[in-house]
Amino acid sequence: MSFKVSERYNCVIIEFKGNVMGGPDAVELNDTLHELIEEGKKNVVVDLAKVKFMNSSGLGMLIGGLTTMRKAGGDLRIANPTDKIESLLVVTKLITVFKHYESLEEAVNSYNKEEGEEEEND
Amino acid sequence: MSTPNYTHRITVQASTEHLSEVRDFVASYATKHGVSSHEVEDIRLAVDEAYTNIIKHAYQYDDSRFVEIVMGSEKDEFWVSLKDNGKSFNPTEYPDPDVEERIKKKERGGVGVYLMKKLMDRIEYHKHDGTNEIRMIKKL
Repeated sequence: MSFKVSERYNCVIIEFKGNVMGGPDAVELNDTLHELIEEGKKNVVVDLAKVKFMNSSGLGMLIGGLTTMRKAGGDLRIANPTDKIESLLVVTKLITVFKHYESLEEAVNSYNKEEGEEEEND
Repeated sequence: MSTPNYTHRITVQASTEHLSEVRDFVASYATKHGVSSHEVEDIRLAVDEAYTNIIKHAYQYDDSRFVEIVMGSEKDEFWVSLKDNGKSFNPTEYPDPDVEERIKKKERGGVGVYLMKKLMDRIEYHKHDGTNEIRMIKKL
Protein backbone atom coordinates (compact mmCIF):
# COMPACT_ATOMS: atom_id res chain seq x y z
CA MET A 1 0.00 0.00 0.00
CA SER A 2 1.07 3.59 -0.47
CA PHE A 3 -0.52 6.75 0.84
CA LYS A 4 -0.44 10.38 -0.16
CA VAL A 5 -1.05 13.24 2.24
CA SER A 6 -2.53 16.55 1.10
CA GLU A 7 -4.47 19.40 2.65
CA ARG A 8 -7.74 20.98 1.70
CA TYR A 9 -9.36 23.84 3.63
CA ASN A 10 -9.26 22.82 7.26
CA CYS A 11 -8.55 19.13 6.89
CA VAL A 12 -5.90 16.66 5.86
CA ILE A 13 -6.65 14.09 3.17
CA ILE A 14 -4.82 10.79 3.24
CA GLU A 15 -5.30 8.88 0.00
CA PHE A 16 -4.73 5.13 0.31
CA LYS A 17 -3.73 3.17 -2.77
CA GLY A 18 -3.35 -0.58 -3.38
CA ASN A 19 -3.68 -3.38 -0.82
CA VAL A 20 -4.46 -2.19 2.72
CA MET A 21 -3.21 -4.96 4.99
CA GLY A 22 -1.72 -3.32 8.09
CA GLY A 23 1.80 -4.48 9.03
CA PRO A 24 4.53 -1.87 8.34
CA ASP A 25 1.93 0.44 6.75
CA ALA A 26 0.16 0.69 10.13
CA VAL A 27 3.38 1.99 11.74
CA GLU A 28 3.88 4.53 8.95
CA LEU A 29 0.28 5.74 9.18
CA ASN A 30 0.53 6.02 12.95
CA ASP A 31 3.73 8.12 12.65
CA THR A 32 2.07 10.39 10.07
CA LEU A 33 -1.00 10.91 12.27
CA HIS A 34 1.14 11.78 15.27
CA GLU A 35 3.10 14.32 13.20
CA LEU A 36 -0.20 15.88 12.10
CA ILE A 37 -1.44 16.06 15.70
CA GLU A 38 1.80 17.80 16.73
CA GLU A 39 1.19 20.36 13.98
CA GLY A 40 -2.33 20.88 15.32
CA LYS A 41 -3.99 19.20 12.31
CA LYS A 42 -6.63 16.94 13.72
CA ASN A 43 -9.28 16.66 11.01
CA VAL A 44 -8.41 13.72 8.79
CA VAL A 45 -10.22 12.22 5.81
CA VAL A 46 -9.04 8.86 4.48
CA ASP A 47 -9.85 8.51 0.78
CA LEU A 48 -10.37 4.85 -0.09
CA ALA A 49 -11.27 5.21 -3.79
CA LYS A 50 -8.02 3.62 -5.00
CA VAL A 51 -7.97 0.70 -2.56
CA LYS A 52 -7.88 -2.64 -4.36
CA PHE A 53 -8.08 -4.94 -1.35
CA MET A 54 -8.48 -4.63 2.42
CA ASN A 55 -8.32 -7.37 5.06
CA SER A 56 -8.91 -7.43 8.83
CA SER A 57 -5.39 -6.08 9.51
CA GLY A 58 -6.17 -3.14 7.20
CA LEU A 59 -9.39 -2.53 9.12
CA GLY A 60 -7.37 -2.72 12.34
CA MET A 61 -5.09 -0.03 10.97
CA LEU A 62 -8.07 2.26 10.26
CA ILE A 63 -9.45 1.63 13.76
CA GLY A 64 -6.03 2.46 15.24
CA GLY A 65 -6.00 5.71 13.25
CA LEU A 66 -9.52 6.57 14.38
CA THR A 67 -8.73 6.10 18.08
CA THR A 68 -5.49 8.11 17.74
CA MET A 69 -7.31 11.06 16.15
CA ARG A 70 -10.34 10.98 18.50
CA LYS A 71 -8.05 10.80 21.54
CA ALA A 72 -6.33 13.96 20.26
CA GLY A 73 -9.71 15.69 19.96
CA GLY A 74 -10.00 15.21 16.20
CA ASP A 75 -11.52 12.60 13.93
CA LEU A 76 -10.71 10.25 11.05
CA ARG A 77 -13.49 10.06 8.47
CA ILE A 78 -13.80 7.81 5.46
CA ALA A 79 -14.50 8.93 1.91
CA ASN A 80 -15.21 6.94 -1.25
CA PRO A 81 -15.41 3.42 0.17
CA THR A 82 -15.78 0.94 -2.70
CA ASP A 83 -18.77 -1.43 -2.54
CA LYS A 84 -16.45 -4.17 -1.30
CA ILE A 85 -15.09 -2.04 1.54
CA GLU A 86 -18.53 -0.74 2.46
CA SER A 87 -19.83 -4.31 2.81
CA LEU A 88 -16.76 -5.13 4.92
CA LEU A 89 -17.61 -2.21 7.20
CA VAL A 90 -21.22 -3.39 7.42
CA VAL A 91 -20.29 -7.02 8.20
CA THR A 92 -17.91 -5.95 10.98
CA LYS A 93 -20.40 -3.28 12.21
CA LEU A 94 -17.65 -0.68 11.84
CA ILE A 95 -20.01 1.32 9.65
CA THR A 96 -21.50 2.64 12.90
CA VAL A 97 -18.08 3.61 14.25
CA PHE A 98 -16.67 5.60 11.33
CA LYS A 99 -18.27 8.70 9.85
CA HIS A 100 -18.26 7.82 6.16
CA TYR A 101 -19.10 9.75 3.01
CA GLU A 102 -19.67 8.84 -0.61
CA SER A 103 -17.38 11.56 -1.92
CA LEU A 104 -14.29 13.43 -0.84
CA GLU A 105 -16.20 16.72 -1.08
CA GLU A 106 -18.85 15.52 1.37
CA ALA A 107 -16.21 14.32 3.83
CA VAL A 108 -14.29 17.62 3.66
CA ASN A 109 -17.53 19.60 3.97
CA SER A 110 -18.55 17.63 7.05
CA TYR A 111 -15.69 19.32 8.95
CA ASN A 112 -16.46 22.76 7.48
CA LYS A 113 -20.09 22.43 8.49
CA GLU A 114 -19.15 21.55 12.07
CA GLU A 115 -16.77 24.52 12.30
CA GLY A 116 -19.52 26.79 11.01
CA GLU A 117 -21.91 25.47 13.65
CA GLU A 118 -19.32 26.00 16.36
CA GLU A 119 -18.80 29.61 15.27
CA GLU A 120 -22.56 30.20 15.30
CA ASN A 121 -22.69 28.89 18.85
CA ASP A 122 -19.85 31.17 20.04
CA MET B 1 -21.22 -25.55 -13.00
CA SER B 2 -18.07 -27.69 -12.84
CA THR B 3 -16.73 -31.21 -12.98
CA PRO B 4 -17.79 -33.00 -9.79
CA ASN B 5 -14.98 -33.95 -7.39
CA TYR B 6 -12.36 -32.11 -9.45
CA THR B 7 -9.81 -30.54 -7.16
CA HIS B 8 -6.89 -28.21 -7.55
CA ARG B 9 -4.01 -27.72 -5.12
CA ILE B 10 -0.92 -25.66 -4.42
CA THR B 11 1.63 -25.74 -1.63
CA VAL B 12 3.16 -22.42 -0.56
CA GLN B 13 5.58 -21.25 2.08
CA ALA B 14 3.90 -19.72 5.12
CA SER B 15 4.85 -16.10 4.52
CA THR B 16 2.86 -12.90 4.10
CA GLU B 17 5.00 -12.37 0.97
CA HIS B 18 2.84 -14.99 -0.71
CA LEU B 19 -0.51 -13.51 0.35
CA SER B 20 -1.39 -11.88 -2.94
CA GLU B 21 -0.22 -14.93 -4.92
CA VAL B 22 -2.49 -17.17 -2.79
CA ARG B 23 -5.46 -14.81 -3.11
CA ASP B 24 -5.06 -14.52 -6.89
CA PHE B 25 -4.62 -18.26 -7.33
CA VAL B 26 -7.83 -19.05 -5.45
CA ALA B 27 -9.76 -16.23 -7.13
CA SER B 28 -8.67 -17.32 -10.60
CA TYR B 29 -9.70 -20.93 -9.97
CA ALA B 30 -13.06 -19.88 -8.51
CA THR B 31 -13.73 -17.56 -11.47
CA LYS B 32 -12.92 -20.33 -13.96
CA HIS B 33 -15.43 -22.55 -12.19
CA GLY B 34 -18.31 -20.14 -12.59
CA VAL B 35 -18.31 -18.47 -9.17
CA SER B 36 -19.78 -14.95 -9.43
CA SER B 37 -17.42 -12.00 -9.06
CA HIS B 38 -19.07 -10.90 -5.80
CA GLU B 39 -18.62 -14.37 -4.31
CA VAL B 40 -15.05 -14.57 -5.62
CA GLU B 41 -14.26 -11.43 -3.59
CA ASP B 42 -15.73 -13.04 -0.44
CA ILE B 43 -13.65 -16.20 -1.01
CA ARG B 44 -10.52 -14.13 -1.74
CA LEU B 45 -10.81 -12.30 1.59
CA ALA B 46 -11.74 -15.43 3.60
CA VAL B 47 -8.67 -17.26 2.23
CA ASP B 48 -6.46 -14.25 3.00
CA GLU B 49 -7.65 -14.30 6.62
CA ALA B 50 -7.30 -18.09 7.01
CA TYR B 51 -3.80 -18.12 5.50
CA THR B 52 -2.73 -15.15 7.67
CA ASN B 53 -4.01 -16.96 10.78
CA ILE B 54 -1.89 -20.02 9.92
CA ILE B 55 1.21 -17.82 9.50
CA LYS B 56 0.54 -16.08 12.83
CA HIS B 57 -0.95 -18.76 15.05
CA ALA B 58 -0.09 -22.21 13.66
CA TYR B 59 3.49 -21.43 12.57
CA GLN B 60 4.15 -18.26 14.58
CA TYR B 61 5.87 -16.55 11.62
CA ASP B 62 8.22 -19.48 10.85
CA ASP B 63 8.42 -19.07 7.06
CA SER B 64 10.26 -22.37 6.57
CA ARG B 65 6.89 -24.14 7.03
CA PHE B 66 4.31 -24.81 4.33
CA VAL B 67 0.58 -24.47 3.76
CA GLU B 68 -1.30 -26.69 1.34
CA ILE B 69 -4.34 -25.18 -0.34
CA VAL B 70 -6.88 -27.45 -1.98
CA MET B 71 -9.97 -26.27 -3.84
CA GLY B 72 -12.87 -27.93 -5.51
CA SER B 73 -16.45 -27.46 -6.55
CA GLU B 74 -19.25 -29.98 -6.43
CA LYS B 75 -22.90 -29.55 -7.36
CA ASP B 76 -23.84 -26.22 -5.81
CA GLU B 77 -20.82 -25.71 -3.57
CA PHE B 78 -17.33 -24.28 -3.89
CA TRP B 79 -14.90 -25.27 -1.15
CA VAL B 80 -11.35 -24.39 -0.23
CA SER B 81 -9.19 -26.12 2.37
CA LEU B 82 -6.02 -24.83 4.00
CA LYS B 83 -3.81 -27.44 5.65
CA ASP B 84 -0.88 -26.95 8.02
CA ASN B 85 1.18 -28.99 10.46
CA GLY B 86 1.56 -26.32 13.12
CA LYS B 87 -0.12 -25.48 16.40
CA SER B 88 -3.82 -26.30 16.43
CA PHE B 89 -6.15 -23.39 15.93
CA ASN B 90 -9.84 -24.12 15.63
CA PRO B 91 -11.61 -21.05 14.24
CA THR B 92 -15.04 -22.64 14.69
CA GLU B 93 -14.57 -22.43 18.48
CA TYR B 94 -13.43 -18.81 18.36
CA PRO B 95 -16.07 -16.43 19.80
CA ASP B 96 -17.43 -13.61 17.65
CA PRO B 97 -15.85 -10.31 18.70
CA ASP B 98 -17.82 -7.31 19.88
CA VAL B 99 -16.11 -4.85 17.54
CA GLU B 100 -17.25 -1.69 19.33
CA GLU B 101 -16.13 -3.10 22.67
CA ARG B 102 -12.74 -3.99 21.17
CA ILE B 103 -12.29 -0.43 19.98
CA LYS B 104 -13.12 0.93 23.43
CA LYS B 105 -10.63 -1.44 25.04
CA LYS B 106 -8.12 -0.88 22.20
CA GLU B 107 -7.89 -4.59 21.53
CA ARG B 108 -6.73 -5.78 18.14
CA GLY B 109 -7.41 -8.99 16.27
CA GLY B 110 -10.23 -11.51 16.32
CA VAL B 111 -11.95 -9.84 13.39
CA GLY B 112 -10.34 -12.15 10.81
CA VAL B 113 -12.08 -15.31 12.03
CA TYR B 114 -15.35 -13.41 12.30
CA LEU B 115 -14.97 -12.30 8.68
CA MET B 116 -14.24 -15.86 7.52
CA LYS B 117 -17.47 -17.04 9.14
CA LYS B 118 -19.50 -14.16 7.73
CA LEU B 119 -18.12 -14.31 4.19
CA MET B 120 -18.45 -18.08 3.76
CA ASP B 121 -21.51 -20.26 4.32
CA ARG B 122 -19.78 -22.87 6.45
CA ILE B 123 -16.40 -23.29 8.17
CA GLU B 124 -15.17 -26.72 9.29
CA TYR B 125 -12.07 -27.64 11.26
CA HIS B 126 -10.55 -31.12 11.06
CA LYS B 127 -7.41 -32.51 12.62
CA HIS B 128 -5.86 -35.75 11.42
CA ASP B 129 -2.36 -37.13 12.05
CA GLY B 130 -0.96 -33.75 13.10
CA THR B 131 -2.46 -31.90 10.14
CA ASN B 132 -4.92 -29.08 10.75
CA GLU B 133 -7.45 -28.49 8.03
CA ILE B 134 -9.71 -25.47 7.75
CA ARG B 135 -12.36 -26.07 5.14
CA MET B 136 -14.47 -23.14 4.00
CA ILE B 137 -17.57 -23.72 1.93
CA LYS B 138 -19.51 -21.29 -0.23
CA LYS B 139 -22.91 -22.25 -1.61
CA LEU B 140 -23.35 -21.28 -5.24
